[in-house]
Formats: sequence, structure tokens, C-alpha cells
Amino acid sequence: MKRRRLFCAVGLAAVALLVRPAWAEDAIPPDQTPIGDEHAVPYHLQEADIEVGKVPLEQIRDFGKLLFSARFTTLDGAGRPSATSATIPTHRPAGEVPAFMRTSGPDSDSCAGCHAQPIAGGSGDFVANVFVSPQENEFDFDTIEPELSMERGTTSVFGAGLIELLAREMTVDLKHEEHLGMAQARASGQPVRVALATKGVSFGAITCQPDGFIVTKELQGVDPDLILKPFGQKAVWSSLRHFSVTALNLHHGMEAEERFGPRWTDEKDFGGNGVGETITQGDLTALVLFQALLPAPTQVLPADATHRAAAEHGEQLFNQIGCDTCHRTSMVIDNPIFTEPGPQNIAGTLRPQDTGKPFAVDMRKLPWSSRLNVTADGKIVVRAFTDLKRHRIADEDRPHFANEKLTQSFVPVDQFRTAWLWSIGSTAPYGHRRDVTTIHQAITDHGGESTESRKAYEALPEADQKAIVEFLKAQKIEPEDAWRAEVAGTAAQPAKVQ
Amino acid sequence: MNKLIARTLLVSAVLLGAAAPALAVDAPHFVDETATAGIDQKYTGGWEFYVGGGVAAFDCNGSGFPSLFIAGGSSPAALYINRSTVGGPLKFEKVEDSPLALKNVTGAYPLDIDGDGIMDLVVLRVGESVVFKGLGGCKFERANEQWGFDGGNNWTTAFSATWEAGQSWPTFAIGNYVDRSAPGGPFGTCEPNYIVRPQGQHFGPRLPLSPSFCALSMLFSDWNRSSQPSLRIANDRQYYRGGEDQLLKLEPGQPPRFYSHGEGWRKLEIWGMGIATYDLAGRGYPAYAISSMADQKLQVLSKDADGNPSYEDQALQRGTTAPHPFAGEDHRPSTGWHTEFADVNNDGYIDLWISKGNVSQMGDFANKDPSNLLLGHPDGTFTEGAKDAGVLNFDSARGAVLADFNLSGMLSLVVVNRNANAKVYRNVGFGTAEKPLPMGNWIEVKANQPGPNRNAIGGWIEMRSGSRTYRRELTVGGGHAGGQAGWVHFGIGEAERALVRVQWPDGTWGPFVKVIANNFVRIDRDDIAAHYWLPPYADTASGDAGKN
Repeated sequence: MKRRRLFCAVGLAAVALLVRPAWAEDAIPPDQTPIGDEHAVPYHLQEADIEVGKVPLEQIRDFGKLLFSARFTTLDGAGRPSATSATIPTHRPAGEVPAFMRTSGPDSDSCAGCHAQPIAGGSGDFVANVFVSPQENEFDFDTIEPELSMERGTTSVFGAGLIELLAREMTVDLKHEEHLGMAQARASGQPVRVALATKGVSFGAITCQPDGFIVTKELQGVDPDLILKPFGQKAVWSSLRHFSVTALNLHHGMEAEERFGPRWTDEKDFGGNGVGETITQGDLTALVLFQALLPAPTQVLPADATHRAAAEHGEQLFNQIGCDTCHRTSMVIDNPIFTEPGPQNIAGTLRPQDTGKPFAVDMRKLPWSSRLNVTADGKIVVRAFTDLKRHRIADEDRPHFANEKLTQSFVPVDQFRTAWLWSIGSTAPYGHRRDVTTIHQAITDHGGESTESRKAYEALPEADQKAIVEFLKAQKIEPEDAWRAEVAGTAAQPAKVQ
Repeated sequence: MNKLIARTLLVSAVLLGAAAPALAVDAPHFVDETATAGIDQKYTGGWEFYVGGGVAAFDCNGSGFPSLFIAGGSSPAALYINRSTVGGPLKFEKVEDSPLALKNVTGAYPLDIDGDGIMDLVVLRVGESVVFKGLGGCKFERANEQWGFDGGNNWTTAFSATWEAGQSWPTFAIGNYVDRSAPGGPFGTCEPNYIVRPQGQHFGPRLPLSPSFCALSMLFSDWNRSSQPSLRIANDRQYYRGGEDQLLKLEPGQPPRFYSHGEGWRKLEIWGMGIATYDLAGRGYPAYAISSMADQKLQVLSKDADGNPSYEDQALQRGTTAPHPFAGEDHRPSTGWHTEFADVNNDGYIDLWISKGNVSQMGDFANKDPSNLLLGHPDGTFTEGAKDAGVLNFDSARGAVLADFNLSGMLSLVVVNRNANAKVYRNVGFGTAEKPLPMGNWIEVKANQPGPNRNAIGGWIEMRSGSRTYRRELTVGGGHAGGQAGWVHFGIGEAERALVRVQWPDGTWGPFVKVIANNFVRIDRDDIAAHYWLPPYADTASGDAGKN
């Protein structure tokens, strides 16, 4: 214990020396860093520096990449001996806890430890599954039984920035429809039923009463606050940042200042790791921007003509049998500017109003953006094969996807967000538990609202079923050298998506 | 365990926690909008109006925005309709020809007496107290005769109401102060307090409560969670002889009687001015912040109370004694008035407002005596935050109210002052007047049940988020001569959602209902889903709603 305290003290001193912008003129050169130093995070980024434009975008992204791939150590503050993994800062009773706990966490020392397939930022194998639970009371659960935890596979974050932009715009649309309906109801003194739809996706309807109350019985696929939460298998996280703050604490015990700091907890070291808040607001902005600006997955059709023809035929069938009812082929982003922090963040996650000026990035001007389809008026077409909506995906006939016994954030156990299929060719296995090894099986496990489409698939001749699979296999995450080569025009051009 | 040891351990534990340097639990920024809010109201008058000066906040036109009724003392009282916009500056419009504009008003409390869904108003006076039936659209009519209410002719300074089991009409408790006509007064000449029980759909005769000790605040509160509220009375020792604070047991069909010392009620002799209630210890029982002169009180049910009304005072260890001015050069003891528990920064830790001001010219007490805004910490202690919050003021405050006047989720403040204009402060969170910035997350709740007592007075709202539980008792009364009705506000810090349930006045628990943060919701009895309410945003100002 004494030795650990000494190391912590040394670590604190070292961090104090190292806490300065990496691009600053007075940054410590590598040959002058302490010998044997094991900090994974050499510096911390300050949000104020980002806001005033002191840090170029490229360096923000690089720092975010460093954080994403960093192998956090106790010197960085990894570990949370006095806190649970709960979203809301929650203490656990004092006592010895293991540094790593496969079930209740911390369960990894790096984001890239799980988000690695096929490259950092991607998905994870079944072995990289994590366990989510409310963790207010059962904070050290050592069972994987569904009565106590929810097992989830690691999803890819490639293209996540575009996904978040879609979600933000769809939220604005839904809230606008709600407000218009309510204004009409108040003015007329009569109830007004509002069909909620945005970007071609229906979210059911609400009825606005003239007294201001809203009837939500017909609402579908979204919470009553009408905020689309595109992240998490059950659509419970409204932004990359919202998710990242929670994940950093849950998986690594790295506590973000904006949620675990003194402002909300009245403590400087809520997690009891001896370092205090380990992730600054600026660090998180960098981590989020790294993820948000990862290239969108793309379609890479097979080189040989036979397989290519099958894939193209498969896409037609995919739409014909109604898969695209939920797995919508594409949606259009009206405003390509990604701002961070995002507008839907609430207390505990940095909000735009908490900063002087949110950081803004034009998604059309990224190195990989030239590969994106755009409309005639220059709007980005996001070909993600999702409607970002929750659906009931299981039933008595097809119960596989309703294995969970706990609800997460009020979402029923048989409901999940429509998976983004635009990287499915790179992120086997499948399902929210990564326990389905073939795309074919994942399709035939569909129940609930997707029963009709599933039955249509099952009624297809085998060759057509395989054509659909071939089409989905073509939706891939490409390695950086591949898309850079394409952008540079030095590689064979992939088939353009119409 | 030995009581002394237990108390010592408690004090030590809290003090040890408090001894560590208090980190910043941010105070919200309040912007003084007195000059622009449209309120021009002073509480004036002689001796009879040294006490009182209450304010009632309630939605009188169905807009969702709380309007204000402010006592005037020797000046006419006034009704101010809320004309604010959602999240915008606070704006009120005085109703010039309202029947509420009476003189000699000491305070008022809103409640729905007749169960028609429209708030009524009980107006306390030096003279005849009056009940007003709400007609909607902020219109009122006198209803003493219609409802059989005997307004008396007293120096009325306190009030509370509850619905007794099986009754469709409320029971009133009327608190009176000094008998001005009694020979040898004012010392030892307290007027009787009264209980007014219903007879069918109107009020019965007034029943005097004996003994009465110059009440300045009353509150029906379910101190032991029996679903049978008792009446807590804060009395002014300045004028009683042989008196104390009281707890009155009220059982249906039985005459009321006071808890005795033999039943565990501990003698408390203070200059009791205002009562606020909150489940401070998190054990499901209400604690009471009672204002006084010098040390303010914080009465918490003893852990060894064993079903008896035995309270211990935790003001010292929690930092709420506020015995003298925290600012200025006047170090004489304070005089406390209105008390109110509210989460002004939405961090999930309850805060405490205490109005302060000299009675008039009491030389032994502070004359420049600023009101307290005590900010709550996770360890259960409080620290002064009025200056940081921008509400430092040396007027002689009396009543006050913290309510969400602009439906921003943040509680703003109105303070009634003796011989000075009422102060209006808009809560802008972390931001400024031009750019308010929200602090923590929040949920505002209304409980609704069919039939009489639609607002479930006597019930509780319980909210669970993460590992924390917040509880609010639904009451009419307390404070200093004023109260509020409408949305029950909960600050929930970083929580994104909560489970909410209601314990209805008859003791029945409703199911847990799922609620997303930063919303207004109504919980209906026997319903499993919350009903979300949308404020009138954009260019829709707070006018009369629909065809109300």
C-alpha cells in the first residue's frame, strides 16, 4: 500500500509536469520524458484551447486517436475502486476490488482493446462482449445471467459522425412537428393528432391536447422526449460524447471531469483512483472527434463479375422483400457541419452552452469525403441501412433476440435499434450478443415487426437468399491505406453507389 | 446504542465530512429583474403587519405559468398574472380590478377547494379572512357565504389545509396571532387558533384549538407516514406565556388533540416564523426547517423515536443555523421568516431559502439582515450561497416563493419585503440574462386523482434515479404566510431519467412510472404511463389557455 502511494505520488507529479498541450512550444520532447514512464496519456487537452482555435483539427484527431488506442494505466487514473460503472456517479462501499472485472468492469485498458475489427474503431468478436447493468445496487456482479446483466457485443464506430448528424436533424424535425401540433391545439382548443415522420421514417403519432398534455400511445421507436439516441444497441445514447463518457468510466475507470468532477459530485477524485478526474473536457472532445470523423463504411463489390452480379441482384431483392422498411438504404443529411459538443447533451455530458463556441467540422471536407454520395444540391447521402428507430425484433416464434431479462433505460427487452448494416461485411459475428455467426442466421432470427420481411426472405429460392447475403457482405470498413489510395486515384475505383 | 454516543457519532460523522474543504457546488446565477418584471408591491403597515407578508404562486389561467398573489398589509394586496415566455425574462401584469385587492392581507395559500380543477385562494387578513373561488382566467369570486366559511375577525397569520379520510371537502387550520383587544396584551394574549372541518360540500363551524400560542406558521404534514397528517404549529415565544411549538393529532371523526411530552413530543420554544419540509435524512420521513430569531431550527425525526414524534435538531451539524447576518457589518442575531426547501441549481441536493429581516426596530436583533440561500451538499451539509447567486439583499424580507416562473426547469425567486418593493430574481443557471444556461437536469411533476382533492394533498411523490431517492410531500401551508401550488420540482443532477410513483393520500402506492429528464409530467392515479406536458414555446406568451 505504501509503495502504491509512492508510485501514485510520483505519477501525480509526472502528470503535473506533462499537463500541457502537445503542440505547445514548450512540449516535452520524447527524449526528455522520464525514463520508465508508463503514462499512456502524455498530455491533456483543454477545451478552451480548442474553442479559441489553438489546436488544428488534424492534431485534435491525432490526440483523439491516441486516446482511443491508449492502454490506460493506473498512472493515468484508470480504475475506479470507489465508484460503480453506473451512468450517474455512484459510490460503492469501500473495500478491495479487483483492478479488472470481466463482468462489471473495468474490463479493458483501451477502447481499441475491443473496438478493433478489422481495425481500431471497428467492432469486436464475441470474446470482446461487455456487460451492461444499472449498477446502482449490483455493482460487482460476477454472473453473466440475464437476470443481472445485459451482454452486448462491441459495435463499430466507423461513420458514427454521419449517424449522429442524421439523429440530430431527425430530432429537430420531430420536435418541430410536435411544437406545431401543440400550438395548433392550444390555438384551436381542440386535440390535434400529429403523424411524426422525418427523412421518410415514421415514428407513429402523438395527440396534442389543448391543455398542453401529449398523448403518446401511438408513439413508435423513440422516447417521449422525441430525441433520437442512435448509439447503443437499444438506442439509449444521444451522442458519441454521451456514450464515451459512460464507456470510459464503465470499461476503464477513466472518469471524465464533465460528469465525475467537483461540479456535480463535490469531489475531486470520485472514483478513488488517486489521480482525480482523468479525462478533461478537451480530451473528450478529441476522442469524440476522432470517432465522429472516422470514414463511413462503403460498398466494396466483388471483383469477379459473377459475384458482383449476385450482389447487385441481392440489393434489389433486399428492397423488394421489405428489408429496407427498417434497414433504410439511405438518408440525406441537410447540414454537414458536425459540432461538438452536440445539441442533445444534457447535464453530465458537456453541452454547447457549457462552452464558449462548439467546435465545427464540415463533413464534406474530410480526406475520405470525396467517396460519399451527394445529392444534386450537395447534401450528403448516408447509406447506412438503418432508420435509427427502435423496433420489436423478437417474439415467441423467433425469441433469439429477446434473451435479456433486464430493461435498459426503459426500453423493453424485445426492442432494439435497427442495426447499421453498412459495415456488416467487416464485423462478424452478428446480433447484439455477437452470437450469430452467419448473416443468413441473423436474418432468419428476425421476429416481431420484421416477421413479414423475414418470411419473404425465407420464401425466396436459396440462390436469391445467397444473393442478399453477398450484397450485405459487400458493405465493409476499408483500411485507411485502401481508401486513401482510392482518394488519391491510385487504386482501382470501387463501384459507385447510385 | 447509548443516545449520547449515537448523537456524538452522528455529529462527528457529519462534521468530519463537513470538515473537508467544501468544493464548489455551483450557485446558480439569479438576475435581478425587479425593475422590469412589472411588480410594484410593498408590504406596509404598523404593528399588525410586522408579521405576515406572504406570497402565493399558482396557475390561475391554465397557462402552466405560475402567477402571483402578494399581500400588501395596510396597502392593497395584488394579483399579478404571469406574462413571461418560456425561458425568457420574468414578466407580470397586475390585475387592476380584482376582488383580491383587499387591504389588511397578511398572506394567502392556493388550493383547489371544490375539486373543479381550478385553483382557489384562501386569503389571510387582519380582520375577516376570505376564501375565493377560482373561476378560471384569473377571475375570482368571494365564496365565504357560498361555502359556509366563517372568516372570523382575527389577526390571522398562519394556515394549512388537508383532506381527512373520507371527506370530499378540505379541513382548514387557521392560525391567529395576538388578541389586540385583550387587556394586558400583547404578552400572554394569543388569539385562539381554529380547526374548520367540512360538513359535506362546505365548511362547518370553527372549532377553537386550546391552548394556542400565537401561531406564525402551520403545516399539515404526515410526520410518521401514517397517511394521516398531523398539524405542526410554529409559535412565537415573543408573546406567549408557558407555550411551545405544537403537534396536533387529527383523526377522522375524533376531536383534535395535541401530542404530549409523554408521547415523545419534545418541547421547542422558539420565535417560530416559518415551516418548510423535506425528507432530508432520506429515510422517508419529513424533516422541518423552522425559522426563528438567532438560531434557525432543523428538526429531524430521531432514529430512536420509535414511532413517537421525537425530534432532534441538526441545524448546527448541517450548517443551517444561520444565526446572524453572513454579510455586512451588523453582527446581531438574525430574524428568520419564510423557509423553503428547493433545488435551485438542479444538482439533486436540496437547498434551503430563509427570508430574513428585522421585525421592525428590535434593537437587539440585526437590522441589516440578508436572507439566506443555503446550498446543499452531497454530505447533507449546507453552505451559504446568496452572494454568489446574486440575491444578496438587505431589505426586510418576509414571505417568498421559489417557483419555475418561466418554465425553464430552473426555480426563480420572488421575495416580499416590508416597506420595500418585492424583489424578483430570474434563475439563469450558469448563464446570463441574455443567455441562460441550464444547470442540472430536472423533472416537474403533478399528481392527479379523480374526485375531490384532485391534487392529492396529503400524498407523496417519490422519485428514484440511479441509487438516489427523492421525496416530496404534497402539502398546503407552512412557509411564512404563503405557499404555492402547481408543478412539484425535482432537481436530479446528471440523471437522465427517473422512476416516479405517488403515494396517494389514502396511503395507496401507485406503480412506478418511467419519466425522461427535463420534462413536465402528470402522474394520474391508476395509470402506468406519465403524461408529458409541453410548455407554450416560441412566440406563444403565457396568455389564457384555450377556452378556459
